[in-house]
Parts: sequence; structure tokens; C-alpha cells
Amino acid sequence: MFDATDYEDFPLIEPIENTGKAFYRTVVVLVAVIVFALFMYVRQLRIGLGVTGLNEPVAWGFYIVNFVFFIGISHAGTLISAILRLSKAEWRRPITRMAEVITAIVLAIGGLHPILDLGRPDRMMNIFQSGRLQSPLLWDVTSITAYFTASTVYLYLPLIPDIAILRDRGTKPKWLYEFLSWNWKGTEYQKKVLERAISILMVMVIPIAISVHTVISYIFSMTLQPGWHSTIFGPYFVVGAIFSGIAALLIVMIAFRKVFHLEGYLKEIHFSYLSILLLIMSLLWFYFTFSEYLTGYFGHEPYEMKVFWYKFAGEYAPYFWTMIFCNFLFPLIILSNKRTRKIPGILAASCGVVVGMWLERLIIVVPSLTNPRLPYPQGVYIPSLTEWSLFAGALSVFVLGFVLFAKFFPVISIWEVREGRERAVREVTERIESYLPTPHGAKSG
Amino acid sequence: MVMNKKNIFIMQIISLSLIWIFVAGISVWILNLLNLSLELSDVPSATIAISLVAIPVFVTIAIVLTYVFVGLQRGNSQDR
Repeated sequence: MFDATDYEDFPLIEPIENTGKAFYRTVVVLVAVIVFALFMYVRQLRIGLGVTGLNEPVAWGFYIVNFVFFIGISHAGTLISAILRLSKAEWRRPITRMAEVITAIVLAIGGLHPILDLGRPDRMMNIFQSGRLQSPLLWDVTSITAYFTASTVYLYLPLIPDIAILRDRGTKPKWLYEFLSWNWKGTEYQKKVLERAISILMVMVIPIAISVHTVISYIFSMTLQPGWHSTIFGPYFVVGAIFSGIAALLIVMIAFRKVFHLEGYLKEIHFSYLSILLLIMSLLWFYFTFSEYLTGYFGHEPYEMKVFWYKFAGEYAPYFWTMIFCNFLFPLIILSNKRTRKIPGILAASCGVVVGMWLERLIIVVPSLTNPRLPYPQGVYIPSLTEWSLFAGALSVFVLGFVLFAKFFPVISIWEVREGRERAVREVTERIESYLPTPHGAKSG
Repeated sequence: MVMNKKNIFIMQIISLSLIWIFVAGISVWILNLLNLSLELSDVPSATIAISLVAIPVFVTIAIVLTYVFVGLQRGNSQDR
């Protein structure tokens, strides 16, 4: 039941087998927040959308902001994991699992938000009966469902060997691990099958992930609303999504490292590499933001300028400049300096980016609706307690999802770590030797 | 809770068939919308284009999952 090989990675199994009181306390607190959010939602269903801050002409508020935000965070996972696997980045091994879990949980949360935005959620059924696939809204439904399905399978398949380890150790509930391990014995043939399937999925998942956020941007850019009708919205949203995704991944990694004492697995170098990626994405995000606003300003179209000044110097200016600080200046200052690019600094920068990216979604959604092209007076949007509660509920579902996952499954892929120990050094050496330039006169290998 | 191997295998088959039911459901839904757009002459070309991408994606995911399940069952006893 208990052998030396399993003891080697016992820190990854310990949280599953020895559940502490902190787990139950966390679950109780999170469930309390979720129950309160549910109560507020039932109240919204009973009374109607009047309990929210939504009004004419601001028909989209927190729910759609959070929808875009959560779906953006989902790019942390499967996309980053797939890119790292595909590029054979060896340092990926302790990271990919957490990234994939983020995607699966956050997609489920984000995907439900448009339903919260409906006063009559039963009308969702109209999509099944008489939806129009010509509408970007339906492209969204299709691509998010595809991404969720692919991500869940992509999370599950690399989990199978780890589930088999738990099954062989006799970890409870035994039937669950027996059921989910799919008869895995670790034979060469099984390994080949699994590797082939993971390879197919990681190639598939990248275009699906990119399509998801591109299509979400189309909800906005396919309209003629000032501030939304832009050709760069697709890539702009994808860049923002990967940016916020990396920040969320770093926060989760730092939290689990601290709580589960995973210092031996998640080392400074992992944070350093990911934070450099975060810095690159920050610069890329700023480039897109600059291009987006410069084009609008240069055209000087009156309706466009109304939205522009509303963000730059009007009611949304505090949010706009906080966004610029959180998404660009703060990460740039912290992450470009080797002395501050340590775990506390990376945590601060990542939290800043998550806040900044949420503000970015708010700044995209609301100002264009408060200043519409149609002859409405300028609108006002103040989110109500209901919307704040559901936001808190969504965040709690995210944390609860992660806590429950960590209760039953290892948050770091054990078999991939072991495989890395056994094969990575040799493989990387061979790879480097294969692309090193051959000296003049020597025979190439 | 103790379950014998046969029951677990039946549960695994049922769970695997759920993905196929799901994919079939999605395909029927998309084909229904395609039919509707043809009936109403409502830009059916766009619907056809989306159907051609969406349905194969879901089917591929289900095929990959089934391939792994069958492969793991076949390869559990010996190296092939």
C-alpha cells in the first residue's frame, strides 16, 4: 500500500490523505458566501432585474463584465499548459495541472454569467429551439462549450496516472479512484496511448482557446457602438485573457506553495520564468491599448470621442488610470527589476494585474453603453448589492472548486514530475546537442 | 463503500457513453439551427460554415476520450 516511490512525492499526496481542520473551516466560509449569493439570485429572479443597477441604456453591467473577466482567466490554463507542453518547456511540469484546473473551474463559472444577466433565464431555451448561428452570441455558446469540454478532457487525461497512484495506495474513497483510473497499470502501451491522446488534445486546444476570446470580443466589435467597433478587438481580448490568466496562475501557485509547503516543487525559477512572461504580456497589452485608443482619437468621430473622454477624463477616469497603473506601470516597475522580481513582488504584481484586467473589462463594457449612439441621455450605472453578492459568490465558487479539487487530487502532476526526474536531463541534453551548430570540418550528426 | 470491478466497469462505460450523448445532443442542436436557417433563408452559408467547424471538434474530443478508454483497457495486462 505504501512504498518508497510514493513517499518520494508524499508532500503532493499528504493534503489528500490527511485533511486538516483548515479545509473544513474554509469550505464552511465559502459555502456561506455561496448560499448568500444564491439567496440574492433567487431574490433577483423573484423581483426582476430591477434589483440590479442595470437600466436604460446600460443593459450590461457586472454580469457581463464578470463573464468576460472569468472567461479571460480561463486562458491561464489549458492554453498556457498546451503551449508549454508543445514547446517542451521542462519547467512546465509542476505548473500545468494547476493551470488546467483554473480553466475548468473558471469556464464553468464564466459560462453561467450570461444566464445571471437574464431576467427570465427560462428564455435560454429559445437558443435551443430557434437560435441563430449567425449571431456572435451563439458563436460564444458554441466555442465556450467546446473549450470547456476540451479543457475538462485535457485536465482529466493527464490526471489518470496520478489517480492510479492514489488507487494503489488505497486512498479513500477507493471506489472513486478505481472508477476514474480506467484500469491504468502504467504499461508501455498505456503510456503510448495516453501520450498520443494528450498530443492530439494540446494541438486542438490552442485554436479553440484563441477562438473563445476572439468570439467574445465579437459580441462587442460586431456592433456599431462607439468604443466597441474595432478590428483589433479579437487579438486585444486574446492578449488580455492570456495576461490575466498568467497572473491568476501565479496567485494560485503562490497560495498552494505556501499552504501545502510545496517549496521543493514550485521553485523561485518557475515564478521567475512565468513572471517574465507576465511582463511580456503587460507590454503587449499596453501596445494594444495604445493602438486601440490612438486610432479612435485620431479619427475624432464625435460619438467615439464622447466615450474616449468619459474614460480619460470623465466619470470613469479613476478606473481607467488605475487600470493603466495596475496592468502596465506596476508590473513594469516590479518585474523588470531583478531585486523586486521575487515571490512577494510577483504576488503583488499578479494581484495588480487581476484587478487591472477586471477594471479593463468594466471600462470596455459600461462607458460605451452609458454614451450610446442612439439619442438617449447619458446613462449611469451603479452596481447593486445583488451584483456585488453574486460577484463574491462567483469568486467563492472558484476558490471552493480549487479547494475541493486539492482535497481529492494532487495539484501537481506526480507522474510528470517523476518522468522529468528520469528523462528530462537526458532528453534536454540530446535536444541541445541536436541544434548546436556543427563546427566547420566536423561531420554533422 | 466497496464496489466490485464489474460494477465499476459498467459505471465507466455509462460515463463514457455520456460524452457521446452530449456530442450527439450538440450535433442535433446545430443541425436543427441549420435546418431553421435554410427554411427561413436566413444566411444559411454562415450556419453551414459554423457547423462544419463545431461538430467535428466535439466529435474529435469524444473520439480521443474513447480511444484512451479502449487503449487503457486493452493495454493493462501486457506491453504490446
